[in-house]
Amino acid sequence: MIAGEVTSSSVERLGATQSPSAPPAAPQSANPKGNPEVVDGPLSVRALLRIDEALRLADATTGFVFSVYIGELGPNPRETAELLHGRLPDPDVSVLMAISPNERVLEIVTGSRARRRLFDRDAKLAAMSMSAAFAGGDLGGGIVAGIAQLADHAGRAPVAR
Amino acid sequence: MPGSYVRLLVILIAIAAAFALVLAAFVFAGGSRRSKRYRPGRPFTFMPVWFLSAPEEQSRAGIARALTSGSLAGRLTRPRETGGASDRW
Repeated sequence: MIAGEVTSSSVERLGATQSPSAPPAAPQSANPKGNPEVVDGPLSVRALLRIDEALRLADATTGFVFSVYIGELGPNPRETAELLHGRLPDPDVSVLMAISPNERVLEIVTGSRARRRLFDRDAKLAAMSMSAAFAGGDLGGGIVAGIAQLADHAGRAPVAR
Repeated sequence: MPGSYVRLLVILIAIAAAFALVLAAFVFAGGSRRSKRYRPGRPFTFMPVWFLSAPEEQSRAGIARALTSGSLAGRLTRPRETGGASDRW
């Protein structure tokens, strides 16, 4: 098997089969308008709106694609997070924050091009501040702070000439 | 008049019972809202969510990039080089 190849069992684990703990089939907007099902998730409407705004601002500023997953990550959280990251539209320029509140695990995955501007030590700093907020029970606040911190470290997208 | 005293007593008990019912309704309504709040170390039941800022636009752009690069297989494989960080709380 090629390294990094997604097996059929791992695809099933990542939501091809619908179960209450399986990830959604595809990412969706955090804005509850038009996505009423996100209200059944772990965040309040106010937190969802703040995350939606933070994601838009981070994408527009950095030129990267920021994504947030909240759900179970299983026994190998890093592997699961990387598989989810690989399912994003353009993984190379994508940054995924995968959070498992029950397992108390946070994974930040940066794509090959994103990590040239967003170094691992920057991701670690953001992860530490996010974890501090999560430990206090503030999921929404930690996510918004993490997105802002990662976007700040990544800086503005270079202007094409 | 014992009859009027009994009636007054019944009315007072009914008012107290109604007040208790209203209080109980508020408590249960508040309880269901509080259960959504995350508390580390306590079981937290929720539907998994996955967010992007503009999923429709980005999925279209991703498919276009995959087509121009000649392969859609990349959508089902992990990027070879990823970075990032991990943490626990």
